[in-house]
Amino acid sequence: MKKPRVCVLRTDGTNCDRETARAFDLAGGAPQMVHVNQLRTGEEKLAAYQIMVIPGGFSYGDDVHSGKVLAVELTSFLKEQLQEFVTAGKPLLGICNGFQVLVRTGLLPGGRTDEISAALMANDSGRFECRWIELLVENNHCLFTRGLAGRVLSFQAAHGEGKFFAREDTLAAIEQAGQVVFRYAGAGGGPAGNYPDNPNGSLHAIAGICNPGGTVLGLMPHPERFVERTQHPNWRRGETGEPHGLAIFRNAVHYAREI
Amino acid sequence: MGITTVRVTNRPGLRDPAGEDVLYEIRHALGIAPVEHVRTARVYRFEGISEKDARLLAEKLLAEDVFEVYTINKPVITDAASVVEVAYRPGVMNPEAASLSKSARDLGVTGLAAAASSREYAFYGGGVTAADIETILDRLLVNPTVETVMRAEPDTLLISGRPGETKIIPIRQMDDAALMDLSRDKLFLNLEEMRLIRDYFISRRRDATDCEIETLAQTWSEHCGHKTFKAELVVNGRKKEPLLKRLQQATARAGHPLVLSAFVDNSGVMEFYHGWAVCGKVETHNSPSAIEPYGGAMTGSGGVFRDIMGTGQGAKVIASTDMFCFAPPDIKPEAIPPGCLHPHYLLRRVVAGVRDYGNRMGIPTNNGSVHFHRDFRAKPTVIVGAYGLLPVSRAQKGRAQPGDLVVVIGGRTGRDGIHGATFSSGEMTHRTTEVNASAVQIGHPIEEKRTLDALLAAAEEGLIRAVTDCGAGGFASAVGEMGAETGVEVRLEQAPLKYQGLSPWEIWLSESQERMVLAVAPENLDRVLAICRGLNVEATVLGAFAAHRRLLVTWHGTVVCDLEMEFLHHGLPRRRMEACWQPPEEAAAPLTTLPANWTEAYGRVMAHLNVCSKEPIVRMYDHGVQGTNGLPPFSGLHGDGPNDAVLLTPLPGRPEAVVISHGLNPVLNRSDPYYGGLWAAAEAVSNAVAAGANPEEMVLIDNFIWPFPDPESLGALDRAVDACVDFVDTTGMPFISGKDSLSSTYRGADGTVIKIPPVLCVSAFGRVPDINRTVSADFKGAGNKITLVGKRTVSEMGGSVYCDLYGQPGGSPPRIDLSVLTGVLTAVHRAIAAGKVLACHDISEGGLAAALAEMCFGGGLGAAISIPAAENPVHFLFNETAGCFLVETAPDTDPAALFAGVPHQMLGTTVAGDRISAAGLFSVSLTALKRAWQEPMARIFGSMRAGNEGRGE
Repeated sequence: MKKPRVCVLRTDGTNCDRETARAFDLAGGAPQMVHVNQLRTGEEKLAAYQIMVIPGGFSYGDDVHSGKVLAVELTSFLKEQLQEFVTAGKPLLGICNGFQVLVRTGLLPGGRTDEISAALMANDSGRFECRWIELLVENNHCLFTRGLAGRVLSFQAAHGEGKFFAREDTLAAIEQAGQVVFRYAGAGGGPAGNYPDNPNGSLHAIAGICNPGGTVLGLMPHPERFVERTQHPNWRRGETGEPHGLAIFRNAVHYAREI
Repeated sequence: MGITTVRVTNRPGLRDPAGEDVLYEIRHALGIAPVEHVRTARVYRFEGISEKDARLLAEKLLAEDVFEVYTINKPVITDAASVVEVAYRPGVMNPEAASLSKSARDLGVTGLAAAASSREYAFYGGGVTAADIETILDRLLVNPTVETVMRAEPDTLLISGRPGETKIIPIRQMDDAALMDLSRDKLFLNLEEMRLIRDYFISRRRDATDCEIETLAQTWSEHCGHKTFKAELVVNGRKKEPLLKRLQQATARAGHPLVLSAFVDNSGVMEFYHGWAVCGKVETHNSPSAIEPYGGAMTGSGGVFRDIMGTGQGAKVIASTDMFCFAPPDIKPEAIPPGCLHPHYLLRRVVAGVRDYGNRMGIPTNNGSVHFHRDFRAKPTVIVGAYGLLPVSRAQKGRAQPGDLVVVIGGRTGRDGIHGATFSSGEMTHRTTEVNASAVQIGHPIEEKRTLDALLAAAEEGLIRAVTDCGAGGFASAVGEMGAETGVEVRLEQAPLKYQGLSPWEIWLSESQERMVLAVAPENLDRVLAICRGLNVEATVLGAFAAHRRLLVTWHGTVVCDLEMEFLHHGLPRRRMEACWQPPEEAAAPLTTLPANWTEAYGRVMAHLNVCSKEPIVRMYDHGVQGTNGLPPFSGLHGDGPNDAVLLTPLPGRPEAVVISHGLNPVLNRSDPYYGGLWAAAEAVSNAVAAGANPEEMVLIDNFIWPFPDPESLGALDRAVDACVDFVDTTGMPFISGKDSLSSTYRGADGTVIKIPPVLCVSAFGRVPDINRTVSADFKGAGNKITLVGKRTVSEMGGSVYCDLYGQPGGSPPRIDLSVLTGVLTAVHRAIAAGKVLACHDISEGGLAAALAEMCFGGGLGAAISIPAAENPVHFLFNETAGCFLVETAPDTDPAALFAGVPHQMLGTTVAGDRISAAGLFSVSLTALKRAWQEPMARIFGSMRAGNEGRGE
């Protein structure tokens, strides 16, 4: 079967690109690094790809706001291509800095590039933190989490601006539409309100959301950092089963094959 | 058009973590009670654009309506008792400025001449006085080296200036006094060296240019020239080989088969697997960090990363490490000498600098430690290490060939870090902060990241003949060294500048960060430039390598430097230095009394600053980026049990691992530099072996951070080097890289002299064939056996945490027995590789007791041990001999068989529950121990407050 082509978008300060490409590789995709300059010059076109991912890192140093400078660049020069990609229902994933970029382009949660309706603010702790956290997968229609609803996944969170924030009415709408894909989970597996289970003070313990169609996903924690057994901090303490991040990438690859 | 100012702050009612952080510091570090609340705002200034365009930028870029509000040309916070704006000083490059310009361009805004950003702090509280605000600014928010309080709107953001002329220094006429006047505070050369320079120019029948004098001073600086380490020593009247030569000879004697490159390149290289090699380098950045800890630590990280990038024909950076020494953070401010910064501030800012550089570059910071001693109050020790991966085929240091082009890639050159190399070689004095302000700068990790991306892309295509980084000494050092064997011609006016107004010598010596120099064959130039362009990296041809063995630098056609390479690199005669050494006096007998309250004593040891958990620091570093981590700094049931080393699997999908660890103990270095040195080396390798590394496949890096080499300090240094040499000769593990920094002496205006404790930090790295045959330190189950492996003389309590806490004599420091160490390391390694070990932890500060407690914390298990009746229980529990291990094995494993032939003893078993008990002596609660162990750093970093909504205080 032909492997779906995955555009791994890079720019100045992207730094989780190789491991994200590796995750797609393991999941059966054909990842390719694409610099935003190559899209701007027309040397590369998003239409040539079946999946797109914006990896983690510090695009342009996270100056002004995390992901903001790249978001401005994308909406200034690649708005049509992006909108086309999303309209075509192709999987678009943003991890950590990529999530921040997607929210700051407006592609999440609304799915359109003309209105920013949520934000990823500075962590309540006021600092970057790197720790493994538990994520509860909500029961919804996001293509990336097919078959995972109700499960609790372990991922590493590593960010300084990950507090999901939106106004009450927006939050209600997101909840109503089933756009919450991941919530930080406490000891019992339920949504976590408190630090450190909720590492950044996110409202409604939201760690990841999708667009209304379930084809665009953004999340703060790093699924690409758990696609090998030995990446889990406690792999020596017993089996965790299949590395928790793999299913997310595999779902995207399977979905892309179908469309 | 003038300047338009946009101010942005969070909507009222939303939290402002930056403000809360400042408030926490005001309360806890400064003890200023009247401040009730702090809010912050970001300030952006744009020169040359209309207010309409500024509004566009505010709405599309600067302020997100969801959670922020903005104003144009007027205050945004209007209800506070006091509002203060803190900005970088003009000329200190703010990395955000480039992003502001880029986004403005992207949004179609034209005419922007300059942009700047800064921050406003608003203080609330009825009783806040002007004096309170001044204290907060002085102690917390403004480092005058790089920052300033904005008291009026600036007229312009543009830095202008005309390039200074090249000055002729009439050196031929100078007498000794004049020569030393020229040297003082700037060149840091001694009279003999200054005379040599004068004589050189007399023989050339001309005077020197400022550029030539500066080039010689930096090449001959202690920092670059390692004059002490290369000096012929006379110790107590007896001649000894130079320190560096002894280390290099020991490495040669070891003849380690995996070593590919030792002491010749920017880092040391050893063979890995499958055609790959790993390299390592550890650097100090003490002097800059002492006066501007954030920028100093950042540029320290950036510099050591570039050392890795500049190894062979280019390496990928795969890990970062950090080792710090500070005075206790609760030391009274009046105890801090003039010109020095408080350790509470230093610690937090140094950590922030390492964090921001490594995290933003995407390099996992995985291994490190923090040590405290009162005598670091005059100058901290800041050690940063980095490790890299490169193909064996490109692992040898490259050699530029005549005709190759000198290509600089990365950041632009500014007036940053002028005199950094010579400054680092000078002692810290009360004048240091005033005189050397230009020696520090703020790093730009994104610039370095894209430069790394470009470098690796060019390396993979085989386009690089040789590469080195611009570190101390800037172009002068990098180009001067690369062209040492050939000669080189540089056209300085080609260098891209951050702003105009630099004199030629300043461009030549500037230590602006994030620049690499490549030697590129002319036929490869176009491809290199294309790669750089595609990644937004500036690349410029500065000149070409030649065959005349001269360093010829011109500025618009005028010669500004013309020196013979022979004189520059070999004109400095080997120093002959006197050292004296007196063996430490026979130490008083160690204490023998037992604590009245064991629970309290155990808890105090766990809470000692040199034992306590450093987790709040580690959590600020991204240790998972690159996805390679197979043994993180912390693991275990609750993710808070510390491990001894880091294991990385840098080849995707492969089980082969790189192990990285280190050891240092400044207290021991001071009391006995020989045994302190052995301890550091033994601790470094034990940390790696505890994780499962093979001592036969490991190499070492040395860092000597020593007081100014007067005869006494030099005598101690000589002993520390002897320890390293003996360690290599006994264990077969060679040093393949190293660095010395011999300026840990403070001299105050009033004659105060403080010798900072000498530090020998030994770092170890190696290769492990299979990550699956390695262990973590957390106990894995109840009912397992706990065995102590290794040789200790427990009455050697000198320098121990226990004796420090109780102010009691400790006797001799631990005298590690090298004759048994290798056997112990090998036995532990074999047991782990055989899959017989469930958990392993080495013994260091806090002794067996601390190691045992940490294994319990990680496993969520207790332990029941027995202490041999013949032993003093305090000595048994709290002796700190490195090279000893606690090992957990399954009930059906026989430790006596496993460790036959090396010293070992059964200690007891792991048990379910919350207690560590020693038969007949005590039973202490692990919960209480853990609380004591976690509390000190949590308090400094305020992490207890995170997420605590009730912190309205």
